[in-house]
Amino acid sequence: MIPAFLQIAIAALSCWILFITVDILWALPREGGVVGAKAIAAAIERGGGHIRGGTMMGNIVSSPDASAGTLLAACGVYSGGIFGGLLATVLVYVGNRICHDPGYAGTTGCFLATFMVYIGTQLGIAAEFFVIGMVIAILTIQGVSHRHASRFLGLLWRLRQ
Amino acid sequence: MEAASMSEGVFVLPEYLTGPFSSPLLQSPGESAELAALLCGIIALYAVIRIMLEPDVMRKLPFLNVFSFAIAGIMALMIPHPLGTVAAAAYFIGSTFESNALASTYAGGVDE
Repeated sequence: MIPAFLQIAIAALSCWILFITVDILWALPREGGVVGAKAIAAAIERGGGHIRGGTMMGNIVSSPDASAGTLLAACGVYSGGIFGGLLATVLVYVGNRICHDPGYAGTTGCFLATFMVYIGTQLGIAAEFFVIGMVIAILTIQGVSHRHASRFLGLLWRLRQ
Repeated sequence: MEAASMSEGVFVLPEYLTGPFSSPLLQSPGESAELAALLCGIIALYAVIRIMLEPDVMRKLPFLNVFSFAIAGIMALMIPHPLGTVAAAAYFIGSTFESNALASTYAGGVDE
């Protein structure tokens, strides 16, 4: 039995790596999907941040992306096993279309996260700890320091290019 | 005897008629789920404080996003039923859509 806080730490780390990887691969920092995402990016840049990292943060706010997909996949696996996760994938796909998002970052992230959370539950990490793990992961990007988070995301985007 | 049990049956729900809160799919949330929901609640409170302290409207929205994540997490954790996940997803997608509309309007509307 792994201690609860270690389980939360492992879950948060794996959620963080998954959602950042999927978002960077789907090129969320390239351009704002909607006008609002561009405006948020401009506001973050005015505050001393990086424009590409700010664009990615704006896109996360404006449409369900891989972070939302990971959260809802964890909720789905918690309540209904692997089929709950697949149900969440369908809901995220519908949510992407509602928000006029042309991309598939949310759907991909949710689908991959379903299997990640399921494998985690088999290894002894409870699915509910993936839910709080994802909330902690989004807190580190959106909720601590916009300047530093956007610069870090900008650095990752340069590495990807 | 027969009449008594029948008149009782009018007021007592039959066993085969199950609502969402008596479904066999629904277990009561465990101790670890309560710990996770408590941590989600603390993060939601923190996000609200950051929203109040942030002067720039556009920069409030990422904190609002953290708040939506925490609330959607609490909803799913406290209702361990597939419909709980549907409710959390509906809430989360709705709040994202609202943030989207808010940011677009504040930025001067959608350009054609």
